[in-house]
Amino acid sequence: MLDFIKKIYTRDESSSRNQANNRLRVVLSHDRLNLTPETLNSLKEDIIVVIANHLDIDGSPEVRLITEGRNTALDISIPVKGR
Amino acid sequence: MDKKNSECHVIVVTSGKGGVGKTTTVANVSTSLAKMGYRVAVMDLDIGLKKLDLILGLENRVIYDIVQVIEGECTLKQALVRDKRFPELHMLPAAQTRNKDEITPEQVKDLCSQMRPDFDFVLIDCPAGIEQGFRNAIAAADQALVVTNPEVSAVRDADRIIGMLESAGFQDIKLIVNRIRPDMVRHGDMLSIEDLIEHLCIDLLGVVPEDRNVVVSTNRGEPIILNDRSSAALAFNNIARRIIGEEVEFPTFQDDSFWDRLRGLGRNLFSGR
Repeated sequence: MLDFIKKIYTRDESSSRNQANNRLRVVLSHDRLNLTPETLNSLKEDIIVVIANHLDIDGSPEVRLITEGRNTALDISIPVKGR
Repeated sequence: MDKKNSECHVIVVTSGKGGVGKTTTVANVSTSLAKMGYRVAVMDLDIGLKKLDLILGLENRVIYDIVQVIEGECTLKQALVRDKRFPELHMLPAAQTRNKDEITPEQVKDLCSQMRPDFDFVLIDCPAGIEQGFRNAIAAADQALVVTNPEVSAVRDADRIIGMLESAGFQDIKLIVNRIRPDMVRHGDMLSIEDLIEHLCIDLLGVVPEDRNVVVSTNRGEPIILNDRSSAALAFNNIARRIIGEEVEFPTFQDDSFWDRLRGLGRNLFSGR
């Protein structure tokens, strides 16, 4: 999500071509997984809850979709506290 | 590619969205292949909404259709319409008053295997949509060409179609971008070829610029590829050449703003051409 926001602000956002590209990025990654943004959000929350049941989470956990070619992966980065 | 002994290639042309130029692509690429001397058959699978006969200018020569062949009312040979202008080009017409679910993928496969020995290429014009008509059209094909336009709705549908082709086991899927306007891309008002490849992640086979000549040719029922002043004609001929394995460079489309054209004109005048 952070990358996505960065992209928006570093490009000339006013051009309709860039708007089309940004809208397509979002729509295509959700289409390919058959996943709505709401489902993705509740998935994120669930993953964090499951981890928190077993480990102490340290800092801010990140759960996001990354795409490489036509493949999409769920990128989960959850820092945990050591003893 | 050896014309006589090479195996037949069955190519489906598809898009998901309607109106992006599938039939125009099928008509012109197949005419171009036939003009080069390859034996080509085109199969219109848009049953109920046929267009290929009209685009090819063969509407008055149609006697039988694909459903009649499948139902045994006539032979395949009787139904194939031969283009008198391009003797190597044959068209199997769609039925206009029937339905897409009146034929099955197996029947299309069967028809294609009957055609393979007699042709170098069979091009299948796929109907829009992702239902039965689409399944019929992809059943017998070895390769797929996905046609899209540089606009969000066409790209989204193309992406869905590519996903479905991949799940159906297609290894060879290539992209044709139709109706691009280089001037609009340069001004940031249209998706570029690079943008489309980034989104769809498949190899590019051809780029066809927006060209008024296409409308004129379609009105007349003549193939655009015969017009040597048309940029779309060049693009369709290049696609046909890439299909037979030639390496053809992609034009950069840099030279068509007013100033670029003026500069080009000056260059040509002073170089004495």
